[in-house]
Amino acid sequence: MTALLPLSGVRVADFSWIIAGPTATRHLALMGAEVIKVGSARRPDPSSNGSAFHVYNQSKRYAAMNLSQPRGKALAVELAALCDVVVENYAAGVFERLGLGYETLSAARPDLIMVASSGTGHSGPDRDYVAYGSLLQHYTGWNSVSGFPGGEPIKGGLWADPWVGMELAMITLAALVNRAETGAGQYVDFSMAEALSASLSQALIEYQMTGAEPTPMGNRDMFAAPSGVYGCAGNDRWLAVEIRDNAQWRALCETIGRRDLAALDSPAARKAREDDLDAAISAWTANRTDWGAFETLQSAGVPCAPSLDMGRLHAERQLNEGGYLTPVEYPDGRTPTLPTLPWRFDGARPAAARAAPQLGRDSDYVYRELLGLSADEVAELTDARVIY
Amino acid sequence: MRRDGLLSGVRVLDLGEGVSAPCAARTLAWLGADVIKVEPPGGDFSRAVGPFPGGVPDSEKSALFLAMNAGKRGVSLDMDAADGRRRLLDLAASAHVVIDNHPLGWLDERGAGYGDLAARREDAILAQITPFGDWGPYAGYSAGDLSLFHMSANAHGMLGPVADPDSEPPIRAGGSQADQVAGMAAATAALAALFRLRTGGRGCHIVLSAFEAMATQAIAGLANIAFGGEPPTRQAADVKEASIGGQVAAIGGVLPCADGHVAISPREDAQWARWLNLMGDPEWATDPKYDTRAARQRNADSLWGLLADWTRRRSKYEIAREGQRRRVPCFPVNTISDLLSDAHLSERRFFVSLEHPSAGALAYPGVAYRLSAASLPLDRRPAPALGQHNDEVFA
Repeated sequence: MTALLPLSGVRVADFSWIIAGPTATRHLALMGAEVIKVGSARRPDPSSNGSAFHVYNQSKRYAAMNLSQPRGKALAVELAALCDVVVENYAAGVFERLGLGYETLSAARPDLIMVASSGTGHSGPDRDYVAYGSLLQHYTGWNSVSGFPGGEPIKGGLWADPWVGMELAMITLAALVNRAETGAGQYVDFSMAEALSASLSQALIEYQMTGAEPTPMGNRDMFAAPSGVYGCAGNDRWLAVEIRDNAQWRALCETIGRRDLAALDSPAARKAREDDLDAAISAWTANRTDWGAFETLQSAGVPCAPSLDMGRLHAERQLNEGGYLTPVEYPDGRTPTLPTLPWRFDGARPAAARAAPQLGRDSDYVYRELLGLSADEVAELTDARVIY
Repeated sequence: MRRDGLLSGVRVLDLGEGVSAPCAARTLAWLGADVIKVEPPGGDFSRAVGPFPGGVPDSEKSALFLAMNAGKRGVSLDMDAADGRRRLLDLAASAHVVIDNHPLGWLDERGAGYGDLAARREDAILAQITPFGDWGPYAGYSAGDLSLFHMSANAHGMLGPVADPDSEPPIRAGGSQADQVAGMAAATAALAALFRLRTGGRGCHIVLSAFEAMATQAIAGLANIAFGGEPPTRQAADVKEASIGGQVAAIGGVLPCADGHVAISPREDAQWARWLNLMGDPEWATDPKYDTRAARQRNADSLWGLLADWTRRRSKYEIAREGQRRRVPCFPVNTISDLLSDAHLSERRFFVSLEHPSAGALAYPGVAYRLSAASLPLDRRPAPALGQHNDEVFA
């Protein structure tokens, strides 16, 4: 198992908090990096009160360090010197004003990779804008292509932070690959807003080529048909069905008893009768359960899936039997079933899932073992609220 | 300063079609990898996806194809023919990473599965993007962007709470987001495998589950359930408190303006006070109906009406600028065309201009990161024409 973990031997100092930064370092920790989360009771991580903290901080260590004190800052520099990667996601400029900018940290560790994520990035006129992920989804155009045609702008799900979290892990890995070859460290200035706008590349290019503002299409597709969600038996139960080719279309027509429609043998022909096709599919799903309809259509080769809520997703067979969701042991005996990583290497899942820590759990490890302080020094720093 | 990105010297073969695998390979191309896109003789099916300029289909003018394949060289070959297979295996032997998103078994049937690649190159890394993986009860099942957006519970909260969940279905986000999540996750896994290889490990066969990648977008919600929480309701009447995912009024929302909409989230009391200051400290603000966060939540509908009366007469840009000057979290709700003239993005040189022989000069969105010790070759080349680099690659 250990040989499988790709980031064995990589150490990360994680000064990030709330969602996006911790999600990035979560991925690194699950891949085998030793991630040391650093925080302080002086300004607790706002996510620490909720259950989400336990996934954002899976498999990490957690040391207390008060960066508002000069000795706390000095210890942060000492810790960074022992790390391959530093991650922070304060508002632009905050980390630098704390005296922990890349210049300072890379002086202590020349090949340091430092990843800094903020709402709108660390340069440009709006770099100090107060940003939340939910607002960035509006600012970046992300919400403008989602919703029902002609409707109000959607309120949006919790999308920006997890999307950014994965991309931050990706760019950290790219910097590590580069360092393995060249020996060079790197400062990465990351903009959450740009990560969202970059995911709209198709719409941005389409607009320039056609002159027409891209608009929301609900569950429909601009090319393929049918594409929709269809009401099933029960309350708020739906099956998503998306037909991409003629073979799938013929299989669907056969299964729902509408061979008369099978002759619509191109996306354009089906698109022209989309409302009729939607009605035909709805008539078939209406008195079936979503899971029953899913199994029936999948066995005929038709791409489809039920539209789940969080509770049903967590209970769903594929995620549990396949090991993506796995029981994690907590010191108090609980074993919540938590997510890991969405891939396998050579048939095994290269993920180390351990319980999220509490603030200060690994302070002794960091100050005694890594930084080599004596028990007396640690006690004094604790009394002085440097280790706090 | 490295001028050619973080991954120069890394060769990647993109055998995929559509969005997920091409998106993963494009991410690596932007980082400097030499990415060769391998298309069937008729081209990647996304070349047929419009809308096209003037409504005239043209396989070199698909916005989707151009967007997902910028920065790559392109070859065409027929993997169903012996000669095409041989060319593919030769090419794969020169590649550090191969990425694919065809159905399970498709590569193996063509003599180009992981075993075939590893026989030619011991340290081969093959990343296969699949709907559900090659494990579990749904291995081999079929699902695309729409199905996976819904199945992963991401669609459930997209609209926020609705009056009648039985008549207003959940929706997916636009822009092939589920496919792009799978692509980003695949790029991440491939880089992890490459790092392991570079630090003394071996190559490997990566199988990615796009469903699990989309579940990874929902880890906060999954944790809530794992620790005994109730799943959030879509029924507006049952919503008891504001949540970020269901963004209701007290925590923020969208208001109509003279020129569109503005999104605001003055969720803390101090932010709310500064927002009121921006509005000229209206008299109703001290009404007990609105003077605490809980009260604002209870009376969200009437409060939202009062706010809209004020915003409707003003510009979204002016409100955002003046609000942010007072440290109120607020942003204009941008359309796609608005982004192209955004001063902040322009100052950060977010857009990259690429000249394509058929599609012309267009501004492509670049990447979310700027690097201190490497510049990225974002302006290297637009998406390839079908078979454009056959001569130089197969020479």
